[in-house]
Order: sequence, then structure tokens, then C-alpha cells
Amino acid sequence: MIFSRKALVSASLLTLMGLAVALYGQGTAPSSPLLLLTREGRTPLPTFMVNNQEMVALDELAGVFKFAVREDTVTNAVRVTHRDKSILLTPDQTLVSVAGRLVSLPAPLMRSGRRPPGDGRWLVPVEFINRAFALVHDEPIELRKPSRLLIVGRLQVPRVALHYETVGNDLRVSFDLTPTVGHAIVQEARRLLVRLEADAIDPAIPAPPAQNLLAGVRVLDTKTIELTLGQRFGSYRSSLPTSTPASSRILVDLVPSAPEVTAAPPAPTPPPGATIPGGDPLPGFSARRPTIRTIVIDPGHGGDDAGARGPSGALEKDITLAVARRLKAAIEGRYGIRVLQTRDDDRLIGPDGRAAYANNNKADLFISLHANASRNGGAKGAEIFYLGLDKYGDEARKQAHLEGGVLPVFGGGSRDIELVIWDLAQARHVDQSAVLAGIIEAQLRTTKVDVGTLASQQGPMRGLAGVNMPAVLIELGYLTNPAQERALRSEAYQTLIAQALTDAVAAFRDYSEGNVGETVRGADPSGGTRGPDPSVRRADPLGPPLGTEPPPVAPASFGR
Amino acid sequence: MTRMNKQLLAVSVALALAIGALVWVLVSGPSESQAPGAKPSQSGSTETATRKIAARLYYVAEDGVHLATVDREVEYGEGTVEQASRILEAQLGPAPAPFSTAIPEGTKLRAVFVSGLGEAYVDLSPEMGAKHPGGSLNEFLTVYTIVNALTTNLPAITAVQILVDGKEIDSLAGHVDLRRPLQENVRWVAPPTPPEGLTTNQ
Repeated sequence: MIFSRKALVSASLLTLMGLAVALYGQGTAPSSPLLLLTREGRTPLPTFMVNNQEMVALDELAGVFKFAVREDTVTNAVRVTHRDKSILLTPDQTLVSVAGRLVSLPAPLMRSGRRPPGDGRWLVPVEFINRAFALVHDEPIELRKPSRLLIVGRLQVPRVALHYETVGNDLRVSFDLTPTVGHAIVQEARRLLVRLEADAIDPAIPAPPAQNLLAGVRVLDTKTIELTLGQRFGSYRSSLPTSTPASSRILVDLVPSAPEVTAAPPAPTPPPGATIPGGDPLPGFSARRPTIRTIVIDPGHGGDDAGARGPSGALEKDITLAVARRLKAAIEGRYGIRVLQTRDDDRLIGPDGRAAYANNNKADLFISLHANASRNGGAKGAEIFYLGLDKYGDEARKQAHLEGGVLPVFGGGSRDIELVIWDLAQARHVDQSAVLAGIIEAQLRTTKVDVGTLASQQGPMRGLAGVNMPAVLIELGYLTNPAQERALRSEAYQTLIAQALTDAVAAFRDYSEGNVGETVRGADPSGGTRGPDPSVRRADPLGPPLGTEPPPVAPASFGR
Repeated sequence: MTRMNKQLLAVSVALALAIGALVWVLVSGPSESQAPGAKPSQSGSTETATRKIAARLYYVAEDGVHLATVDREVEYGEGTVEQASRILEAQLGPAPAPFSTAIPEGTKLRAVFVSGLGEAYVDLSPEMGAKHPGGSLNEFLTVYTIVNALTTNLPAITAVQILVDGKEIDSLAGHVDLRRPLQENVRWVAPPTPPEGLTTNQ
């Protein structure tokens, strides 16, 4: 059959238009579907991207969770009914009523496709599952969007973050487990298998560095991570130096095979397959683990988000990155502490991405750098913020310390676990963060960095909420003040700030290790109350009674 | 009709209109119930007789790092939601000298919802985020201008969550967590110097 050229062109155009309409109406698919984890198994749950919001079809969820969907054509509302409880959704409305309680969603209920009403599927944001439906469901539901996991039921799905470190001739592979689960390490020929007693794992595995001890790492099955051993591998040692119900760190040291010419006695090695749960460190490990091993510095803003802007054009995102680089170099150079940056270039990272980076790297401190802005060009001085909690955070904090659970473990018995609300992981570290803020304020003053009258303050900081370690946000100065803008741009002032913060890190480390010594006492020339005395610094994170002013040197409080 | 009859008719009509107007004024006087926690008052205008309440509003103090409170009259609203809307509309307006407003220019109120738990959801136009100048302090001043304006004046409202363009947001400019309702916070409220012609508090 022969078609004319005109007909072919018309057909092609129509096809393209149809495809465009279909894509516009349905949205585009995200990189991968959500993986639904239940006791019964794993099921992919397709989702759609519509206006940068990930949506899921309501009928798809109805099939999974066995709820009824009824459409009211008069009010144009949709009612979801599950076990005598109702959720009422309305198109173009992000607030939904869940058993009489209002819940906010990031996007409203909408129809898929451009077809007439009644033909398209109802779509809801994926957050509907954990924010709204979870309130009427009888089992816990956890949505881990970065990991693409939707966990339904009391399943043990620990986050497992790996990182690598060269220790002498050895390569140390750290497995950070959150929460803690039992594990076993088995060597099979040229591979090590790390098996976790979990229903599934949520892994974050970076590529190993170039060396000859470890050839590769991969997830072998739902609960096993495989280390492929390199040519120089001789033996391994494993230990569990830190373990709480909430988190633990497994260390696996890969030891190179001894050169044949070496006459030294062989190092004692454990039998293959053995692990030392909670045991003493093996020879070669320091008897005392330093409290500050990894610090994450977070240069605020970046990419399209320039942050505050000075009258001469200085951008907050550039100032914070420059100071972060100086601070990293200073801390690494003076103390040899591992320092990571959430960004080392001009790109935008969301607050959850920054927190996850610090959590996955098991950092011991999180320092977020920012520059301030005011409507008054005369406002000046650095300020330090740490997380403040009102009634919502207070409940999270109580749960962080009190609430736990008991889960059955393989082989019988049970294990007490501590539950972490990742949304407010910082709740459990507020006291330590207050100490850190106080030390930083003291060191900034000592180093003659301009410090604002409000100094340390407590508030609902978005970037600190999910950080699972002591954390502060430092406003280095006011970019809207012309003199401060010039200073913040200068190499000398940036170095001065980096110096002060480096001293503060050392002082906090001394405080954490119980060595409140000269470094700290010398911080305040007034010799007064600015030192990191816990009795002074451990203010009630919920703030003083209503209407009272905080003491002049203590971090400011959140509350009336 | 004689000329006298015409005059009599005109006088009668005028008298009837005057009596009718008097009766209407007497019958249709203010009768609404007071919004919870609001203080009612009458405006000075006898023509409009629009009912007003006294409300405490928040503006950036001259030092640029604190909020100043100013008592102003705002329109009366029936019920908590309506009154919250009237207070916010006043709060989104221009600031009295010498203060400035912490609300980004052009921000409009889209809607207010109040849950049964006393949590207010304030939906504002996109300018609230798009035109925000940034900085932690500015963000705190902006957020607590809205939160305090409602929680201070309306005891029925215990916490406030800010939405932008109908959607929940993380923050306005990356600093203050807006994912859940916030309670009143007077940390950034400072006693201002009373300017002439204004009633200030604290």
C-alpha cells in the first residue's frame, strides 16, 4: 500500500500530538515504582509524576488496602471508607478530612487524563498513604520516598549505610544499621556475606575506593550484602564497637595477605564465619573510641536557591560554600577528623537530602552554615540556632526517649527496639545541640567574630529536624549589612570564622569525652558562664516558663 | 388635583420616608454575637456603622530584628474562621509608620480553615514564598507575624499552619519548619518605643 507524503506527515503529527496529550494528562512515570513491603511479600506500586508531584491511583490503593471508594457526584467529593472510618477528599483541595481530623497533603485529589469526568482515574499524592490513610489503618505504614519503599506492618527494615576508610594497610568497611538488627558474617571463597536478621534492608552503598582488598559490593538478596574480595585480601576482622537498640555500627576490617618475605608472626584472626556481637575490640582497635569521628558541614542553599543577597550582590550560597571549605580544611588539618560536606559545588539539595547525607554517614556533628538578612541594614552579628520544639516536637521527643517496641527475632526470642521518628530525629539530641550552640557562641566571641545580640536561639528549624546527631545552624552574619557583606566576602573574616568553629569543635569534643579542659575554659575571656558546663548549658529544650526571658548567656528558648 | 393637595401629598410622602428610615435604623442596629475572644467596638463613623473589634497585629520593629505589636481596629467577623480572615486581611495590609511589614509584598489571603482541635490552616498566595527575602530571622518574623496574629487574638485557635497556594510547604525560604502547625511564640517580640498616634503594647 502506498501512502502520499502529505498523509504520512499528517499521521506523524497526529501521533505526536496524541502522545503529548497522553503524557500531559497522565503525568510521567518516576524513575522507579514504589516497592510495597508487607508480610505477604513485595509488590511494585506504580506512581505518576504530575506537576512535579508523585501521585498514585486511588483504585490501585483500594486494591492493595481493601478499602472502598465512593464518589459523590453532587458535591464532587470522594469518600474512602476503611473499617467504619472515612476519609473525605475534594478535588482542588489539599486538606482532607480523616475521621473528622484535617490533614494537609502536598497536592489535591485530581483526575488522570484529559477525558470527560468519570472516565479518568482518581489520583492522590503518595503522601496520602502515610499521612491520611495510615490514620485509619490498623497497621503502621511508613513511606520512605528516597528509598522507594512503602512498608506496611511491623516489619524490620533497617537502613544500612556503608562507608569505607583506610586504616593502616587495612580497608575498614563500616555498616551503619538503623535500627539495630542481628547479623552474621560468613566467608565463602572470595566473598564475605553480611546477613542481617531483618525482613528486608534499605541499603545505601557507595562504590568502594580503588584498592586491591575489595573488588565490589552489592545487595545479594533481601537481607544479605555481598563483599567481593580483592586480590590482596588475606583475612578479616569484625567487631561491633557501638550498639544501641536505635542504631549500631558493624566494622569489617579487610586485612591484606602478609608478604611472604615478612618474618613477623601472623596476626590472630577469628575463624571464618565468626562475629563478635558486642564483644571487646580486637587487637588493632583503639581501646577508646573518640566521640567525634565524622562531621558533616552543610553549606546552606545552592543552585537556584541563592538564599539571602547583599546590597553589593554577594550571595548567601557562595559565602556558605566558601566558609565550609575553609572549615573542612581547618578541622581535617588540625584534628584529623573526617569532614564531609553536603555539597561542594553550586547545586540545590533539599533539607531531607542534607539530613539523610549526615545520617547515612553516621556523622557525630552537623553544622549548617547560612547568612542572615534583615529589613534593617544595620542589623549585624552571627547567630546560632538549634532545634526548638513545641507540643508536636515535645511528643516526638518523649517518644524518642520512651517509646520502644518488642519484635520477634529469627531463631526465637525477642528484641527490644527503640523507634526513631525520622521526621524529628533531632528531638533526642536537643540537649547536646544546645551545648554545642553555647560553645560555638563562646568561641565566636573569643575569636572576635561579630556576634548578634540574640546570639543562640531555639526554633523550629527545618534543616535540623531530621538530623540524628547534635546539630546547629549558624547564621554567619547579616548580608544585608554593607559592612558585614564586605567582611563575609573577605578571606580574612572567613578564615576567622573557620578558626572559631574549629576551636568550638575541639571544645565540644573535649566536653563529650569528659575532658572539659583548657580549650574550653579559655573560651570566654570573661571567665564566666560561657563554658560548656552542662549544668548551665542543658537548658530545658522546651524553654522557660511563659513570659520569662532566658538568661543572658544561655541559648534563647522557644516558647512564649 | 389642586395645588394644595399636591403639597399635602408631597409632605405626606416625605414624612412616611423619614419615619420608615428611622424605624429601619432602630431595627437593624448591630445584633451579631461576638467572636470568641474578640473585643468588639464601634467605629467612629455614624454613616457606615461597620462593627469592629480591637486586635493585636505584628510588624517589624525599627531595629529590624524584632516584632512590634500594635493594637488596631479590624472588621468584625461572624465566628472564628470569619474573624480570623478579617484579622489576617488587616495583618497583610501596609504597616503603620515607623514599622514595616514582615509579609512579602503582594501576599493575599486565599482561605482559612480551622480544625476541631483549634489548628488553623492559613492559605496564602504564592508571593508569600516567591518574594520572601530570605534569612532565618526574616523568616521567623514572617511566620510568627501570621501565627501570633491569630493565636493572640483568637483563643479558639491554638496553633497555625501556613499553606502557600493551597499546598503544604516545607518552609518559606529554607529555614523555618512549616510542615506542622506552630504555636504562639513571642521570642522575637520586643517592647517597642511607643510612636506618636499609635497604641502600642508591652
